[in-house]
Amino acid sequence: MTAVLVVAAFAAAYVLIATERIHRVAAALSGAAAMVLLGVVDARVAFFSEKTGIDWNVIFLLLGMMVIVSVLKQTGVFDYLAIWAAKRTRGRPFATMVMLVVITAVASALLDNVTTVLLIAPVTLLVCDRLGLAPVPFLIAEALASNIGGTATLIGDPPNIIIASRAGLTFNDFLVNLAPIVIILLVVFIGLCRLLFRSAFTYDPERVAALMALDEREVIKDRGLLLRSGIVLVAVMVGFVAHSALHIQPSMVALLGAGALVALSKLDPPEFLEEVEWPTLVFFMGLFVMVGALVEVGVIGRLGTLLTDAVGDQYLLASSALLWGSALLSGIVDNIPYVATVTPLVQTLVDAGHGAGQATALWWALALGADLGGNATAVGASANVVVIGIAARNGHRISFWQFTRYGSVVAAVTIAVSWVYLWLRFYAFG
Amino acid sequence: MTARKLAQPFPLVTPDTDAMQAAQTMAAQHLPGLIVCGEDGRPYTILPGSQVLRFLIPTYVQDDPGLAGALDEEASDELCRKLVHSTVRDLLPQPPDLDELPVVDVDATSLEVAAVMARMHSPLVAVVDEHDGGNRVIGAITVSRLLDHLLPPRPAN
Repeated sequence: MTAVLVVAAFAAAYVLIATERIHRVAAALSGAAAMVLLGVVDARVAFFSEKTGIDWNVIFLLLGMMVIVSVLKQTGVFDYLAIWAAKRTRGRPFATMVMLVVITAVASALLDNVTTVLLIAPVTLLVCDRLGLAPVPFLIAEALASNIGGTATLIGDPPNIIIASRAGLTFNDFLVNLAPIVIILLVVFIGLCRLLFRSAFTYDPERVAALMALDEREVIKDRGLLLRSGIVLVAVMVGFVAHSALHIQPSMVALLGAGALVALSKLDPPEFLEEVEWPTLVFFMGLFVMVGALVEVGVIGRLGTLLTDAVGDQYLLASSALLWGSALLSGIVDNIPYVATVTPLVQTLVDAGHGAGQATALWWALALGADLGGNATAVGASANVVVIGIAARNGHRISFWQFTRYGSVVAAVTIAVSWVYLWLRFYAFG
Repeated sequence: MTARKLAQPFPLVTPDTDAMQAAQTMAAQHLPGLIVCGEDGRPYTILPGSQVLRFLIPTYVQDDPGLAGALDEEASDELCRKLVHSTVRDLLPQPPDLDELPVVDVDATSLEVAAVMARMHSPLVAVVDEHDGGNRVIGAITVSRLLDHLLPPRPAN
C-alpha cells in the first residue's frame, strides 16, 4: 500500500514539475515532503544514505562550478573572446556564426549551459548590431550549440553530473566516450547552420568598419583577476582529468577550485555567489529525495527486474530505445528530473551486464538522448528558454515554433548521428 | 513653504512630442526629467532622464555594462540617432506606469513633497492646482530645488 502511495505522490509531483503549474522547486519539495509524511524517508535516508538520499556530490559540484563561473564572469573574458573572434572573421556572417557557435560549445563543455548563453548572448547582440545582422539565427544557434557542447563532459550538463555520480563514471570516461561524438556533432551542426540559417548571412561590407572599431581589450575589467582565474580554471580542469588517479571526487575538485578563486579574487560574497542558482540546488535536493523514496519502497528494484528480463542481452535495442526515448521526453519535459528518475533503472540494466561494454553504453545512450533531446523544442532545455528571454528583452521575439522548427531538425539529426556512433563503437564491432 | 511657492515653471511635453526635442530640452535646461501631460492638459506621467538613457542604451549593454567599453564615440553618436523619428511615447516604459504619479497639490508642504519624491524614487514632482475642480499643472519641483530649501545654508568661507 505504501508503495502505491509513494508512486502516486511521485507521479503527482512529476506532473506538477512537467506542467509548471507551480514552481518546480515547490513541486519537488512537496514531493519530498510527501515521502517524509508517508514514512519512507527520514533524516538518515535523506541526508546520509549514499544510494537513496540527496547526492551531495552533485549538489556541491554544481555549487563549486557556479562559484567559479561567478568569478570568471567578472573578468569579461567571454566578451573579449567573442569580439576578438568576430573581428578575425572580418564580419563575414557565416564565419562569425561558426566562431560564436564554437566558443559557445567549448565554453558549455566546461561550464553550465545556461551561464554560457547568458554570457555570450549580450556580446552576440552587439556584434550583430554592428554588422546590421538579424541576431535571432545567431542566438538560436548558440542555444543549440550550448546543448551540444555541454554533452561532451561530466560537468557540461546537469544530467551528465547525475549520471556520473550515480554510475561512478569519471571525467575521463565522459571525455573518451562522449567528447569524440560531440566534436563530430558540432561539425554536423555547423553544416546544418549553413543550411537552416542561409537567409541570415547577408554581408554588408560597409558595416564591417563598425565591427572592426570595437576594442575588445576594453572589456577586460581586471587583467590580474583574469590571469588568476585562468590559472585556477586550468588547475580545475587538470583536477577533473586526474580525479580518479588522485582519488578526489569531481565535487571536491570544483569546491577546491571555487575556494581558490574566492581567495585569489578578493571578491565580496554577493559577487562570488552571484551565479549560484539556489533554487536549482534545492530542486535537485527535492528530486533526490523523491527518487530515493521509489528505491526505498522497492519500486525501482521491481521495475529494474522487469526491464532486465525484457532486455535480456539485447543491449543495442535497449540503447536505441533509451537514446530516442530520452531525446523525445527531454524535448518535452525537463531532462533533470527525467534523468534522476531513470538513472537507477539504467543502473540495474548495466549491473546485469556485469561490466560488458555493450551494457555500459546504456549510460552514453541516456546522456546523449537527454542532453541532445533538449534541443528539440523551445522549452526542451533551460538554455533555450534563457536565450528566448534575452532576445525578447532586446526586442527580438522568438516564437515557440520558430525555435522548434530549427531545434527539432538539429535534435533529430544529432540523435541519428549519435545512434550510428553508438552502434559502430559499441555494437557493430563490439 | 508650500508646493505653490517651491514650484518653478517647467516645460511640459505630450506623448506625441518629438523625442529629440524633449531630450534636448532636458539637456539644455539641466532638468532631471520632464512632465508628460495628456491631451486634457493633466499630468500623464513623468519622463525621468534615466528613462531616456534606457531607451538609448541597448538592453544587452545594460545587461553587460562591460560591453560599453568596447564601443567608440561614433557608436554613441549612432545610438543617439535613435531619437530621430521617435516620440516621447517611445521613450516611456512599456506599458507606462500610470498607477501613481509624482504629483502634489499646490498646498502640499515641503516635507509632503519630499515624501512623494522619496517613495516614488522620482527626481521631480509636478505641482497641480486642484482648486475649482481643475488639474492644471502650474510647475514642478526638482530634487535640487527641494534640497536647497530643506538644507541649512552653507557657512560662508
